[in-house]
Amino acid sequence: MADLALQAEVSELLFREARLLDAQRWTDWLELYCEDAVFWVPAFTMAGGYTEQPEQELNFIYMAGRSGLEERVFRLNTGISLSSTPLPRTRHMVGMVMVDGQNGDAVQAFANCQVATFTEIRGQQFRTSSYEYLLRRSGGGLRIAQKKVLLLEAVIDGYFDFYAI
Amino acid sequence: MTQERDFAAFIDDRPEEGIFRVDRSVYNDPAVLEAEYQTIFEGGWIFLCHETHIPNPGDYFTTWLGRQPVFVVRGADGSVNGFLNACGHRGAMLLTYRVGNAKTFDCPYHGFCFNDKGDCISVRSKRTGWPDEFDIGRFDLAPIARIDSYRGLIFGSLAPDVPELRDYLGAATALLDIFVAPVPQPLEIVPGYCVYVSNCNWKVMHENGPDAYHAPVVHRNFADTIAFRESRGSFEGVNKTERGRLTARIESASYDLGNGHTAFWNERTTPEAYPIYAHRDELAKRFSPGQLDWILGRGRHMTIFPNLLLNDLASSHLRTYRPLSVDRTETIIWCIAPVGEPAEMRAARLRKFEDFFLPSGMATPDDIAIVEAAQRASWALESRWTDMGRGSDPAFRIDGPDQAARELGFTPKVSSTSWDHEITLQGVYRHWLSRITRNGEARHG
Ligand code: FES
Ligand SMILES: [Fe+2]
Repeated sequence: MADLALQAEVSELLFREARLLDAQRWTDWLELYCEDAVFWVPAFTMAGGYTEQPEQELNFIYMAGRSGLEERVFRLNTGISLSSTPLPRTRHMVGMVMVDGQNGDAVQAFANCQVATFTEIRGQQFRTSSYEYLLRRSGGGLRIAQKKVLLLEAVIDGYFDFYAI
Repeated sequence: MTQERDFAAFIDDRPEEGIFRVDRSVYNDPAVLEAEYQTIFEGGWIFLCHETHIPNPGDYFTTWLGRQPVFVVRGADGSVNGFLNACGHRGAMLLTYRVGNAKTFDCPYHGFCFNDKGDCISVRSKRTGWPDEFDIGRFDLAPIARIDSYRGLIFGSLAPDVPELRDYLGAATALLDIFVAPVPQPLEIVPGYCVYVSNCNWKVMHENGPDAYHAPVVHRNFADTIAFRESRGSFEGVNKTERGRLTARIESASYDLGNGHTAFWNERTTPEAYPIYAHRDELAKRFSPGQLDWILGRGRHMTIFPNLLLNDLASSHLRTYRPLSVDRTETIIWCIAPVGEPAEMRAARLRKFEDFFLPSGMATPDDIAIVEAAQRASWALESRWTDMGRGSDPAFRIDGPDQAARELGFTPKVSSTSWDHEITLQGVYRHWLSRITRNGEARHG
């Protein structure tokens, strides 16, 4: 029997993350991540799957530690990154949130997400992915210990960063 | 749509005056692309894949030579064969996956079957509808006219009348030797890859490779971000990303290697951050001090005309591209690394690769944004010329090898005193012109 309170708590966290990204409230967004959080977007293998061993295989993004995300936020804020100036507007649509498991302070969750991105130059673009989260309970609340993003799109039209997937 | 074009008029090349300019309509004129398909992408040596993409008998790799779908297969005898990826019966595409392994190739349409030599070995219901004795050899797959490899890089040509691959690569071979040979182990493609499509002409993408002039501008934010990272003290040793080349004045050079191939190098400001630096004692036994300078002390970058880019800077990669239309280009990128590299070095190489090179990295998106901007503005036809004259002045160029080239033993057409001069692009476009006007040095020696 699903734990409805946990389901609601997890959904709220995932929706909040999406909303903070869309609002470009980076500092508040980073607060959702544990200090040692992993942000991971596997690459595709030529055989059509996803890479699975980040120490030995290529990824779109693999950052162990929240500092990697902080660096990406720093880069957006330099104001001289052509691909991020002006910042594309985004709208995340997070759905199908499911709690996959719970073990002490650790919670596993899944969701699908579609992000609409808009820039004057490229118009509206959509990227679709699955999210696999590891959440950790600390001081009462849940925070993100790992976010794995499995992209649907194997041929990348344009470019993207953490806020557009 | 082969409207006549005076291709020679697209290039304003006046060496004695230091002028080199390219008409921007080369980036958006469909007649130019048609000529490029015929004389370059479907008419000469094109990079296909790396040997480690097809290590075992039956391994295949599908790709394109210009508009034409092809595949490369490792034969039972270890040879590398290549064919048009179109069934000899009614032309259905035979292989749909990018890579795979098969003993025989069965057409998904009417079930004809082919072996690794391209021979048709069976047709369905052969007893009815066909004459009693007929030769199914008429369905054999069309071969890629020429297939050859150098240092693990496999090339193919649909045109049979091309020079030997080694001759085509020419002066680039010495640099490929250095790219591939420095460590005892051969190189392999690291698992995982990325394909991305950009809204630009293939030449705008190709120009961005040899163009080091843009790096301190377009990638200033990357250097600043790495400086921010280092200010927080979290990355040491092989995990450290070199940023010196983006911020400091350093020793460097660039070369027009002939046949449209280019190279540049720059001094490594923090050689200890280079993954193979740990092999230095072993390397010192096998290479002269001059060669060792090239291997450990210089970040290297090269392009092979028209569709291969290799570099060994902060990380190491292979990139290939092909035109989809005048303003759409597909790029495929792989990380390449020594077989059996220690785990810590491999991980560091990958993290640096992901930092910079992918459309999800912290630098390549800015390259894509700027080449797309150049493409959009190529329609400003009243502003006709793209200027590539930097470094033409005799004070900055040497016809033939400079000291560093002599130390490695190669003879470029032109050497330049800086990595960010534009003599490399001049070499690309002189060769390009010779090819699309069909009197190229490459095709006729
Ligand atoms: S098209 Fe291949 S068997 Fe008919
Ligand atoms: Fe660049």
